[in-house]
Amino acid sequence: MSVRSAARRLTIVPAAIALLLLSPFDASAQVTPVSIQGYGMFGGISFTAAESFEAILGESSGRIFGGGVRIGLGLGGLFFDGGAWRFHATGERAFIFNNEVIGLGIPVDVKVTPIEISAGWQFRIRKLPKLIPYVAGGLTSMRYEETSDFSTPTEDGHDTFNGIHLIGGAEYKITRWLGVAGEASWTTVPDAIGEGGVSKAFSETDLGGTTIRLKITIGQ
Amino acid sequence: MNSMSHSSPPRIATGAAVIAFVAIWSFNGHGQLSSGPVSKAMIQDTGLPAIDRGLRDQDPPRAPRGGKDAGRAAASAGDTRPYVPGSIIVKFKDDATRGGISAATSQVAGVIGDRSSWADFDILTIPADADPEAAAALMRERPDVEYAQPRYRNHAMARPNDALYANQWNFPAIDMERAWDIQPGASSNIIVAVLDSGMAFQTGTVRYNSRFSFRLTPGGPIYPALGIVNIPFAAAPELGTSGSTRFVSPRDFIWNDDLPVDLDGHGTHVAGTIGQLTNNGTGTAGMAYNVRLMPVKVIQGLWDEIFGSPFEGTDDVVARGVRYAADNGAKVINLSIGREEGGPATAVTEAIRYAIGRGCFVVVASGNTRADGNQQNRLAIPAPEIAGMVAVGAVGRTLNLAFYSTTAPYVELSAPGGDQRQGGTSAGILQQTLDPDQLETYLRPPSQYGPPRADVFAYEYFQGTSMATPHVSGFAALLMQQGITNPAAIEAAMEQFATEKGAPGRDDSFGFGLINPRATLRGLGLAR
Repeated sequence: MSVRSAARRLTIVPAAIALLLLSPFDASAQVTPVSIQGYGMFGGISFTAAESFEAILGESSGRIFGGGVRIGLGLGGLFFDGGAWRFHATGERAFIFNNEVIGLGIPVDVKVTPIEISAGWQFRIRKLPKLIPYVAGGLTSMRYEETSDFSTPTEDGHDTFNGIHLIGGAEYKITRWLGVAGEASWTTVPDAIGEGGVSKAFSETDLGGTTIRLKITIGQ
Repeated sequence: MNSMSHSSPPRIATGAAVIAFVAIWSFNGHGQLSSGPVSKAMIQDTGLPAIDRGLRDQDPPRAPRGGKDAGRAAASAGDTRPYVPGSIIVKFKDDATRGGISAATSQVAGVIGDRSSWADFDILTIPADADPEAAAALMRERPDVEYAQPRYRNHAMARPNDALYANQWNFPAIDMERAWDIQPGASSNIIVAVLDSGMAFQTGTVRYNSRFSFRLTPGGPIYPALGIVNIPFAAAPELGTSGSTRFVSPRDFIWNDDLPVDLDGHGTHVAGTIGQLTNNGTGTAGMAYNVRLMPVKVIQGLWDEIFGSPFEGTDDVVARGVRYAADNGAKVINLSIGREEGGPATAVTEAIRYAIGRGCFVVVASGNTRADGNQQNRLAIPAPEIAGMVAVGAVGRTLNLAFYSTTAPYVELSAPGGDQRQGGTSAGILQQTLDPDQLETYLRPPSQYGPPRADVFAYEYFQGTSMATPHVSGFAALLMQQGITNPAAIEAAMEQFATEKGAPGRDDSFGFGLINPRATLRGLGLAR
């Protein structure tokens, strides 16, 4: 998917989700005060480049952890969110022959660290005031690091790629200051991989994926 | 076996005059006997330690050997045919009837002999004056025949001529030091078979019978018969210890026994590039220095010929050697041998397919004919069609194509083979082998001619695709140890990571390029 087509989805999908949510929920744009909330999160990611990650790391998914800040602007449900998370796994270098993966026993360390800047809308449900659904979308700056044994500094290294993401989820306020949230995100980072390694062999270029995250929120 | 055979050859005791007469007469033909006293016998399996004469980088150039016009000096005095007369190789179909076989053999007045070990084909004796190529063609037309071919002669591919890791430019040239960081020399789980002129793998004494005088060149001086001679031999110190587990399943298809003594030096040099003992503070290094070596003798050296070996390096002998190696645990088969004359080497090709089916990776020299007509090595031609078999060309120290390296559509990879036209003696490939000064006494005047010694070693620079080939065999052993065991996958990996040389993609000079062991062993990361 190109950045342009992904961006088009960025505008359409949140709108559709918002429409769906409007009917059961009271989406009244009541004036609310500016709020600030910090959060920590953990969860899992399933990478779009499934064959590549599975070939090197043994699986195409893994755990993530991170954190961020969410600022409500006091304009209805509008908020901005800045967060980051990290995926880190170790596998082995490989050779691909007729789609068979032959491990070579040389350790590879892969780290994926996105920074996500999002804008979104959170909804209020009159009958469930402690449950706050939200949708968001934004830009992702994805840092990719890959290091291997027996490699030179020029063979190892890191790069940063840009993409977009969509997020949907809901927060449950346990207390006024403490909450838990569950959310799902979809990220695309096109043309980040595929120039070398097994990703070239599998013609996989997108470093994005789908995440499921559990958040602990502190703040109003 | 051939037209010049004797049913009752003269005994040594019958008198010098008679011996001389018979000898010259014999070597006007092809000095090979089918019967008579056994010319080779192990008389002692211990001996004095090997003698190491060190680096011989100041040696003057030696006469070319191992090419199509060399190494067969005695034989070529009377018979320059590329095949053994009087017999052909025939493979009958599995469902061939006895009547069909009989009809086929009678068409060429042939008689099937007892089937040799490690052969799925038969040797059909035909009249001595019959044309084996025509007879094979007739047989191929028979419905009961799968294939038929003359018993083409093969020879070593080296161009040996005229010290020591610092002298081994060939390993840094292919980034071996960093490759060994990843995979240090494979292990004893990998057996590499060296099908060649034998190997200096054991210490002892062998008694041979030199019954005939001979000329090396037509009109040249006559070298006398030596009679019964005891030849001391020894394991090359840098290959391993005699009787150790370094050497497995030795087999001699030239003398049909289990003592493949190297009386030429070619096989020992080739074995050194594959598995020379390394990091032991002495001598030279090898590619896969922890592997076990299987010495399989399928090529006749000049001394074997002088001593009247019952077989020579024909296609059937090579094919048997390939099958033997596969059946006895070899995982890599090195064929620094071949021939430039005659038709397809079907028997060898089928044996190679069999070996690959048993999990062996097969490496063949592309040939040394570029400066001499560029004839193709018949053994190497099928390589592009067989996944798991590669044909190897040679580069010199400048990494340019060696002057001798045959260019052909079958060339798939290139490796250092040396080019002494660009860099002199030290631009060859250095390994320990038998000391030619003590071995090739037939290059002396007849008055100084005497029995060879196969227990004296020196570090010699050789050049040829024979020397390039063992680099790839050693490389294959390293890849197997690293985890790529499928022969076809090994070939694919070697080709994918080769350093491109020449025209983009594959070309007839370098194939897919110069082998790159470090990059290949390192393989692929996720995105890098």
